[in-house]
Amino acid sequence: MSDTAPLLRVRDLTVTYGTHRRKLSAVAGVSFEIREGETLGLVGESGCGKSTTGRALMRIVEPSAGSIELEGTELTTTTGKELRQLRTRMQMIFQDPISSLNPRRRVRDIVAEPLDCWRRAEGVERTTIVNNLLGKVGIDPDVYGDRYPRQFSGGQCQRISIARSLAMRPKLLICDEMVSALDVSVQAQILNLLEDLKAEYGLTLLFIAHDLAVVKNVSDRVAVMYLGKICEIGPADTLYESPEHPYTSFLLGAALEADPDSPVRGEVLAGEPPSPLRPPSGCRFRTRCPNATAKCANEEPPLVEVAPAHSVACHYPLSTLARR
Amino acid sequence: MSSSLYVSEAVEEATQHARIEKKRLGVLFWICVGWLGLNLFGAIFANVLPLPNPLYQNYAAVNVGPSLHHLLGTDDLGRDIFSRIVYGSRVSIEVSLGSMLIGFGIGAPLGMLAAYRRGKFDATLSATMYCFLAFPAIIATIAVLSFWTPRSLIKIIIVVGIAAIPLVYRVMRSATLAYSTRDFVLAAKVQGASDSRILLKELLPNIAPIGVSFLLIGIATVVTLEGALAFLGLSVSPPTPSWGNMINESLAILQQNPWLAIFPSLAMCLFLLCLNFIGDRLRSHYDVSEVKL
Amino acid sequence: MSEQLLVVRDLATTFHTPSGPLRAVGGVSFDLGQNETLGIVGESGSGKTVLSRTIMGLQPRTNVEVTGSVLVNGFEVVGASERDKRAIWGLQVAMVFQDPMTSLNPVMRVGKQIDEILRVRLGLDRRAARDRAIELLELVGIPSPAERYDVYPGELSGGMRQRVVIATALAGSPQLLLADEPTTGLDVTIQAQILNLLDRLKERLHMSVVLVTHDLGVVATRSSRIIVMYAGRIVEIGSTRDVFARHRMPYTRALLEGSPKISNPSHTRLKAIPGRPPNLADLPGGCAFAPRCSFATDRCREERPELEPAGEVGHAFACWHPLPLVQKVLA
Repeated sequence: MSDTAPLLRVRDLTVTYGTHRRKLSAVAGVSFEIREGETLGLVGESGCGKSTTGRALMRIVEPSAGSIELEGTELTTTTGKELRQLRTRMQMIFQDPISSLNPRRRVRDIVAEPLDCWRRAEGVERTTIVNNLLGKVGIDPDVYGDRYPRQFSGGQCQRISIARSLAMRPKLLICDEMVSALDVSVQAQILNLLEDLKAEYGLTLLFIAHDLAVVKNVSDRVAVMYLGKICEIGPADTLYESPEHPYTSFLLGAALEADPDSPVRGEVLAGEPPSPLRPPSGCRFRTRCPNATAKCANEEPPLVEVAPAHSVACHYPLSTLARR
Repeated sequence: MSSSLYVSEAVEEATQHARIEKKRLGVLFWICVGWLGLNLFGAIFANVLPLPNPLYQNYAAVNVGPSLHHLLGTDDLGRDIFSRIVYGSRVSIEVSLGSMLIGFGIGAPLGMLAAYRRGKFDATLSATMYCFLAFPAIIATIAVLSFWTPRSLIKIIIVVGIAAIPLVYRVMRSATLAYSTRDFVLAAKVQGASDSRILLKELLPNIAPIGVSFLLIGIATVVTLEGALAFLGLSVSPPTPSWGNMINESLAILQQNPWLAIFPSLAMCLFLLCLNFIGDRLRSHYDVSEVKL
Repeated sequence: MSEQLLVVRDLATTFHTPSGPLRAVGGVSFDLGQNETLGIVGESGSGKTVLSRTIMGLQPRTNVEVTGSVLVNGFEVVGASERDKRAIWGLQVAMVFQDPMTSLNPVMRVGKQIDEILRVRLGLDRRAARDRAIELLELVGIPSPAERYDVYPGELSGGMRQRVVIATALAGSPQLLLADEPTTGLDVTIQAQILNLLDRLKERLHMSVVLVTHDLGVVATRSSRIIVMYAGRIVEIGSTRDVFARHRMPYTRALLEGSPKISNPSHTRLKAIPGRPPNLADLPGGCAFAPRCSFATDRCREERPELEPAGEVGHAFACWHPLPLVQKVLA
């Protein structure tokens, strides 16, 4: 691990919707860092705030508090043209491949859109860049360049989105559930493509998804979110092998492996997640946690490092318990 | 139960394949365009065409049926019907185009902006527009035109145009809303596009078909409205010919001269039919959104 | 009891679209006995959803042609009139669909929706129906069922809604439950709850379940037999163990290898299948998987393989060049 400053540093990011009466804390004080060239996976169930976090980073959704530093520049305080310019250094790929593309424009123009917007390239240069990008994502520019999005499948549309996002050579790519809407066989293609492009373009990725296996496959480190907070963050292999937070353990237990002989893992997490309008006091997971004590209700556990690069927000991390 | 409920993705693909072939607009479409074009040509160049004077009253040839001299006959004041129809199309076309210009010129940008910005801007603007919509437009138009004399074409255009603004606003706003939530708009934002760029280059091309469709409907509606106003004596003052005026005048002499009722009505009818047909064809030609089974 | 609950023979569903006939399901045959769970696995375009709806008898009469036979407890569904089908719907066979939000009427209280079938079909009076409905809500694991009886679907979470849908499906005590992607879109932890619930209910009510899904993980531990579909046909059928560990059809292997696994280390290169699922309106001659198969030969492209038995009982596959028998492939 190099000592250089991280590419992205997020501190106490908070996104709150609503008025004084009914506050919905979608993201409640999330902090993490991503180093250049790293892939951080952000995983959690619906309502945990992972998508909101991604959107807050792009300032599609306004952060209510906290700081976001991209290569040292503070993003939360930039506005107007400067913000728009900064945005080109981070790009985002969305979940729905079809709706991510303007149905009335040709694929060629969609991919060139960022270049046109910033007048980076014209004429022959523009065409070369576009053809190059399309080729890199496996779409033949001569055959498909002049077609419209409706003539493509979901997987192909997602490739086009990827090509578009690379046009400005961003440093950070945020993938918001980008393979969730695709078939299994197509998912694998896109994930492989992503790895290849990451190596070639020197990208740093924030991969947001709810599928644990997909996230593990793609990420170096993984952060698990629950109800707006990060419960655990650590290297992918160790986090999955020996989770420290009970919620992570339940998540892994519930994941369905395509293996009839996989051991039936422990108990299933009971109940439903509490409403984000009235999150439980102290540790937000305590209402469903079998290990919860009074301390969990009174004191919110801070994110503490329990192993190198592995932090957990829990008063009783699993490795410290007698069980296991 | 419609079979469209049970379509699997594969079927979607199959029909998508079919749509890659270029859809043709059809012969009838172009005939209609031609007819409208002819009307427009007549309206613009009426002065230089070899038409008899529409205002000239020839008492020697009153209520004459179609003949060589008078292609569609004459009315009860001996004026040539054909010529009056051609000159009359001016009124219909000017009123409809003029009022749509006002309606779209003001209503469309406001609608798009409101849908894009949302928030207080949208809330106040929409509330105002819906208040206006609550007034029965026809009655308001009649009231204003009755009092704002002397009547002229411009006044009619202004009044109808203003009445059209909330309607256009509503249509363009909901169309923009439907698209502004799509991811590609977000993607454009994320690339650093400015708001005006997004509105013009991303949203407008998608909303344009809907706008054009509504425009054609609007034109048709206003042409009919002019006819209705004429019946109330609120259209252009005679002796200026207009289709509505002519139909209105024909009622009194229906027994003696059915031609005065038939031909202007036919002209208006054909005009509207062509407009509607074109609007329909355009809409289905450019509808790329859902699967059609 | 070996009498088969569900017997499907040569079932084929063809849609007549403006651009020509489209064979969504072609020549499917299988049996299902009592107390069995059958998993039907396939990607989009495989025909699995069309199959489940055809079995249920939900295909409309216009523009859709269904041939073959579907016997539910001896009753022939194909060609039956709506009235006859309604006699078995809900009482002998029930269906659970994918999206609970659209399966429930959003403006009708939850209890009332369960009531409907009890009062109209089973003739219970209001009090008895309400009691039974609350019983059902409890059976599907909804806490405070008596209170939840009066809520609207919008007030419930996704998992709860799906439970209500299951309760509605079970109201008539059917022997066969068709579940079409019942947990897709739900959170992982809720998925596990719902699937466990289905298991428990199956045991308790002596039902058979047909589980249609694209997720191999869902069927791995919960079904006794699996059907793998591709382009509207069965390409492999057998016991779960056989399909996972002793599959012979390359598509099955590709499916298994193509999805990322938690047990694999991070950054494992996935064996992606090139190309994409075929266009059913434009199927190539021969084996539908041939364009994407690394073992395809000319014979595969010309002749479509029929199902032939593998060594084990009940295990069959459709391939000219089946994979050699190997030990468990999963790493």
